Amino acid sequence: MGFILRRLVFYFGAFLVAVVINFFLPRMMPGDPVDAMLAQGARFTAEQIANLRLTFGVDQPLYEQFFTYLGDVFTLQLGNSTFFSNMPVSEVLANAFGWTLFLTGTATILAFMFGATLGILAAWYRGGKFDSLASPLSLVLQATPQLVFGIVVLFSLGVTWDLIPISYAYDPELTPDYTSWEFIKNVLHHAVGPIFCIFIVQLGGFLVPMRNNMINLLNEDYITMGKAKGLSNIRVMLNYGARNAILPSVTALSMALGFVVGGALVVEVIFNYQGLGSVLYNAIINRDYQLIQGQLLIMTVFMLAFNFLADVLYVFLDPRLRKGGK
Amino acid sequence: MLAKLTKISTAVAMGATMIAGAISAPAMAADKATLTLVSELKPAWVRNFNPLTVTSRLATTNQFIYEPLLIVNEIKGGAVEYRLANKHYFSDDLKTVFFELKKDVKWSDGQAFNADDVVYSLGLAAAGGAFDVAGIGSKIAGVKKVDDFKVAVELSEVNTGVVSEIVRAPIVAEHIFSKQADLATFANENPVGTGPFTEVDTFTPQLYVQCRNPNYYENDKLAVDCIKMPQLANNDQLLAAAIKGDLDWTSAFIPDIDRVLVSQNKHYHYWFPAAGSASFMLNFKTPNKDNAKAFNDVNFRRAFSMALDRQAIVDIAGYGYWSVNEYPDALGDQFKAWANPDVSAKYGKYSKFNIEGAKALLKEAGYKDVDGDGFVENKDGSKIEFKILVPNGWSDFVNTVQIGVEGLQEVGINASVSTPEFSILNEKVMAADFDAQFSNYFAGPDPYMYYNTAFHSEQMDKARFGGHHNVDKELDKLIDGFNKTGDQDEKLKIVYQIQEKIGSNQTTMAAMSTNYNYQYNTKRFTGWFNESNPQARPVVWPDTPERLLHVLNLKPVK
Repeated sequence: MGFILRRLVFYFGAFLVAVVINFFLPRMMPGDPVDAMLAQGARFTAEQIANLRLTFGVDQPLYEQFFTYLGDVFTLQLGNSTFFSNMPVSEVLANAFGWTLFLTGTATILAFMFGATLGILAAWYRGGKFDSLASPLSLVLQATPQLVFGIVVLFSLGVTWDLIPISYAYDPELTPDYTSWEFIKNVLHHAVGPIFCIFIVQLGGFLVPMRNNMINLLNEDYITMGKAKGLSNIRVMLNYGARNAILPSVTALSMALGFVVGGALVVEVIFNYQGLGSVLYNAIINRDYQLIQGQLLIMTVFMLAFNFLADVLYVFLDPRLRKGGK
Repeated sequence: MLAKLTKISTAVAMGATMIAGAISAPAMAADKATLTLVSELKPAWVRNFNPLTVTSRLATTNQFIYEPLLIVNEIKGGAVEYRLANKHYFSDDLKTVFFELKKDVKWSDGQAFNADDVVYSLGLAAAGGAFDVAGIGSKIAGVKKVDDFKVAVELSEVNTGVVSEIVRAPIVAEHIFSKQADLATFANENPVGTGPFTEVDTFTPQLYVQCRNPNYYENDKLAVDCIKMPQLANNDQLLAAAIKGDLDWTSAFIPDIDRVLVSQNKHYHYWFPAAGSASFMLNFKTPNKDNAKAFNDVNFRRAFSMALDRQAIVDIAGYGYWSVNEYPDALGDQFKAWANPDVSAKYGKYSKFNIEGAKALLKEAGYKDVDGDGFVENKDGSKIEFKILVPNGWSDFVNTVQIGVEGLQEVGINASVSTPEFSILNEKVMAADFDAQFSNYFAGPDPYMYYNTAFHSEQMDKARFGGHHNVDKELDKLIDGFNKTGDQDEKLKIVYQIQEKIGSNQTTMAAMSTNYNYQYNTKRFTGWFNESNPQARPVVWPDTPERLLHVLNLKPVK
């Protein structure tokens, strides 16, 4: 119990540090929300600019802004977004959260399933045609920037062949109704492009480690024994090899899921998908301090919570930790 | 478990593939003429039609919901097109502007529009601060109601150019706005306006539609029933939607438009009228003492100007959308009518691309390559070496500077490109802490805004436009004098003198006149403004009040 308490104290400390960094990091970027508008070609006179700074409150001294922010964090207020037309930050993030979870979550799980399966096959038939094609290819796909992939998919499948929508999470002329099959079909249709892009890039990340783990294991004695016992290839491959080899990949999967709250920034921006990635992108570009702070705060909380959860699990898995190292 | 999940995911993937291409959006009410336009790029629509919140209000709020008193038609030399007002004039001492209002205008809720609305709205602007969205508070001393349809705006000082600024203050309904507890948070979700499209028909974060104001005073002229605004987040998105034919009216920068868009969709056309000019500038007050010697020498600046291949800049960096600017004061074709022919005759040769001429001029003025590195030094042998700043990501301008630098290096001037982030550039330029920069300018209905922002010494620490930091008090006086008179001939005389001062000094080095971006789709509507119908600036962005005239000119294709 002492161990968990000590971890809790540590995480609270880490949270406080993150809270301070979350405030100063966005403000260390050059410029403020008004500069961001000017940089995008807004046409303001000097007098209009002064009035705008007044509206945004960016003319206040930094320490005053900081104490307002601290008070807000501990009363669970995230403030209002300057870029999203003064909408409460919590509302902006809540709207985007589900879409990102759906998009990156689905893509990550699909990539894990396909990657792991293909990795197993590549290891089993290592050196064969499939392995020498799939393994390097997945590395190439993994190394291709999502930007390139996204733009190519958008303009080929979306514009030239007109197979997938080029924008939005669902048709804007439909009213969201999560019980209607029509609407769900529409959502799935809009998700195909972005999910495919995230999936392809993540695929290699699961395939290659799975293949390598598996190859290491295939030299173990118990594999040889399994084969010697006359078990079918499938049984040896899945029950003896893959079951052991998949453990590190599961860790990688949970980490990848932890990153989901960051959103798939590039893909979401390209496909104009209303997730956390495009929110964060717009917040940064437009120096929307409240929104950046809010999103970083949520990412911090998620990361710390996932880590804490892992710590707690370790206590149960590893008896040495329960005794506090004594 | 794994197997089960795989099955589910396969089913999902197959389902998704089957749906692909099968869905089409339910059509809008077919009998309504609906115009699809993009007047801002945003990640989501948030319902806010309060024109006093500049950063929150939707871009279709002004003009389309709140009509202005009048529109100053910039393309027609500042000709006035009356809207809510039907007359305006100055008092004899030029200290007061009177606006006479139309009597048949109604708010969309049926209430009559009158002087009280204008007094209330301009009163908000006169007070200055957050609700002074046009930035005119310091120029207005007071607003008075003369009678129900006449308003007097008292000026803090004589300013004959102020009308074009006053009319940018939104005119809102007093009977609605004066009852709000806090105008800063008032979202005005169901606006009551004087403009053509006040009824919000559909509103989602990805799409909104505004339809005809039943009480619009020019309903007989208006042939467009609704305007539809799909949410698009960036230029790539916009281009993709345009190629598909979803959009009618846009003002995006699309590189190589003939190949990228027009060849893909035959209904798409464009027109790029000349906009403000853009120039290179050397900082007369640069902290680099050696560079300062050269920068303060008119011959060095003239040689710089002659090294610029303006045609290549227009053709390559500008995709042919811009026009060459060889005016010694960088005035540009937009204000051709104001140009002093004497100034061009005397100094025009320094604004023409001439590599040999530039070399000869440098040599004659004593600049030589002493250390044999291929670049000239000052007369005293000290080095001249500088970077030209241009904002990061402004790719057409970065290419412009790149082409400029090639010419400069060819004549022996050691210049290179630097692309800091906009806000860093902005701070350095305002503080005179840099060597050289490239900047565009914004232009108003007459050359005043250009001269004032680019050359008046009071403006140099307020924006990047006056980055040469060359203070000339006589020039300041001439610029100030422009709006102290209402006499057009007098104004022209002043402009001629201004040009002589700037031209003889080669204060800046003009490169090109930029263009307004504008694309239109003739499949659903006709009556678009273009080269053969150049009635006003055709842009759909919210800082173009003329877009109201444009929309009134459109007719659905039968």
